[in-house]
Amino acid sequence: MIFVENLYKTYGHDSAATHALKGVDLEVKAGEFAAIMGRSGSGKSTLLHILGLLDVPNSGSVLIDRKDVLKLTEGQKARFRLAELGYVFQEYSLLPEMTILENVYIPAVCLGSENGYRKRAAELLEIVGLGERLKHYPNEISGGEQQRVSIARALINRPKILFADEPTASLDIASATVVLELFKKLNKEMGQTILMVTHEPEDEKHVDRVIWLKDGIIDKDIKSNINL
Amino acid sequence: MGNLKLALFLAFKSIIRGNRWAFIMIILMMSLSFANLLMTPSILSGVTNTLNQQQMNTLYGNIVIDPPSTEYYLSHASYIEKKVEQIPGVRGVSSHLEGNALVEYQWKEKESVLDKGKSGTWSVIGIEPEREKNVTTIHESIIQGSYLDGKDRDEIILGVEIAGGETAQTAEFLTLQGVQVGDKVRLTYHNGVQREYRVKGIFQAKEMFQADRLAFVTKSEMASVMGRTVYSDQSSQILVSTSPGASEGQIIQEISSLGIDAEVRKWSEYGGLGGIVSSFDVLTALIGTIGLVIAGIVMFIVIYINVINKRRQIGILRAIGIKRDVIIGSYLTQSIFYAALGIVFGGLIFGYGIQPYFELHPLELPLGQVSLAVQPFTVSSAILGILVAAVLAGLVPVISITRQHIIQAIWGN
Repeated sequence: MIFVENLYKTYGHDSAATHALKGVDLEVKAGEFAAIMGRSGSGKSTLLHILGLLDVPNSGSVLIDRKDVLKLTEGQKARFRLAELGYVFQEYSLLPEMTILENVYIPAVCLGSENGYRKRAAELLEIVGLGERLKHYPNEISGGEQQRVSIARALINRPKILFADEPTASLDIASATVVLELFKKLNKEMGQTILMVTHEPEDEKHVDRVIWLKDGIIDKDIKSNINL
Repeated sequence: MGNLKLALFLAFKSIIRGNRWAFIMIILMMSLSFANLLMTPSILSGVTNTLNQQQMNTLYGNIVIDPPSTEYYLSHASYIEKKVEQIPGVRGVSSHLEGNALVEYQWKEKESVLDKGKSGTWSVIGIEPEREKNVTTIHESIIQGSYLDGKDRDEIILGVEIAGGETAQTAEFLTLQGVQVGDKVRLTYHNGVQREYRVKGIFQAKEMFQADRLAFVTKSEMASVMGRTVYSDQSSQILVSTSPGASEGQIIQEISSLGIDAEVRKWSEYGGLGGIVSSFDVLTALIGTIGLVIAGIVMFIVIYINVINKRRQIGILRAIGIKRDVIIGSYLTQSIFYAALGIVFGGLIFGYGIQPYFELHPLELPLGQVSLAVQPFTVSSAILGILVAAVLAGLVPVISITRQHIIQAIWGN
């Protein structure tokens, strides 16, 4: 699914240069639910952004489904993100002027899905437990519920990979658990590949695999036999 | 199709669910900018219209029949008048017999012949008072005394800029310094004939540069001064007024086809307003451009703040794969919508507020009453100007934000 080789990323120049990634090699298989963990500044968000085509490395290669995605143009990357990838951000990632139903189906409209996107959006909101609140606006629901809307939105175009960037960082423990359980459910029942950045140690128990980054390189790569 | 639909949808939701006060302020600003773009040129057009109207009303009528360039006078004036009057669309015809005269007031108080005293040289026009009423509005412009009667022989009416006094705009020493109705003035004509007249009336046509510097006597009096046997049926100029809606060009053609040895021209060929009108055009363009630039800058600031506030949102939209074109299209749609509403409300403010106000309370300027004259070109250029300014003010900030790196837009680093 994802094949990363010798990935380097440096911010700034000369003496002000920060080496975020220093040669990362990684493979993520279809259907995995993996967490990227590490201390602040370890390069975990940088890695997720590069894999999610939101940023570009200085060198190295990223293949998604055997496609060299770093060679895509900006327009092709936008199309690839829309059609093949899903994103859940840390917080406040919904459009405040739209109802939660509208927030979910916007990417489908952009993809040109002519029919059925409303129905699918409603179904996804049902799956994330918000089937009764389709016409609510983001400011009328809680942070945890907003994240569940974000998850439904990320799934609307049936992405190959769902990227989540610290999705529980702004949530209380109960809401965070709901979100993580939802990820787990999607992974187990729908076979959704999920790659999540998190800094919460307790999140480990929800995932199949933990990729530990330290100073821009993979320090440990632990696969959980229990979850697998 | 999906992209256009989404751009329109994003714009629609943003307008419907956006900040109400910001929306009201943007529309108010657009409306006032549009009304301002209409008002300034319309005032200047109003001034031009007033000047044109005054020249027609006081000096030329609609059409002027002059002697051929080799002659000073038109012969058989009464025949020409009769023939022209028969042309359909002609409302009135008035024959003028014009001369120059030294006009003196209180001349008996002069200490010597060389003393200028209260005097000056002006044009004196002999008219048939009743016929003149059908062509000019001098009879409506009497501010003291009364208008001439056809039988008057020793009476004269003076323009206010000749008579002088408080109402006159001209420097006192260039006038007769306050002649009153009933006073006597002495005229020494260019041919040496000297006559005394009682001032019967003083008029103010509010055309201070020419009409208000004229004096009128009856035509028979002027013919007597110039030599009745020769001049009784001569005319220095014949003015023609037309009925509302009649074609001046058509009537000029018909007069020309009468076979009269004369030169026939439209009033505007005498107007001499060309310089003023072209200066007004420059002024209008300048003020309009400044107004438009200010409106554009304000729109830019308002839309820029709006876009900056939504920077993270725009970043997220791009991150999930929404194309830049869709985001730009959405903001462009909003700008055009704001401009369209501004045009509608600005048009209503102008059409139902400003314009009726000026009609009820025209500006009282020395040249006369000025109200707004809206030209179709003014309206179309104001609409185009507001739309272009709105499009630029909307496009520039959103293009600049959507060019930012996605990571920078979302997380601001």
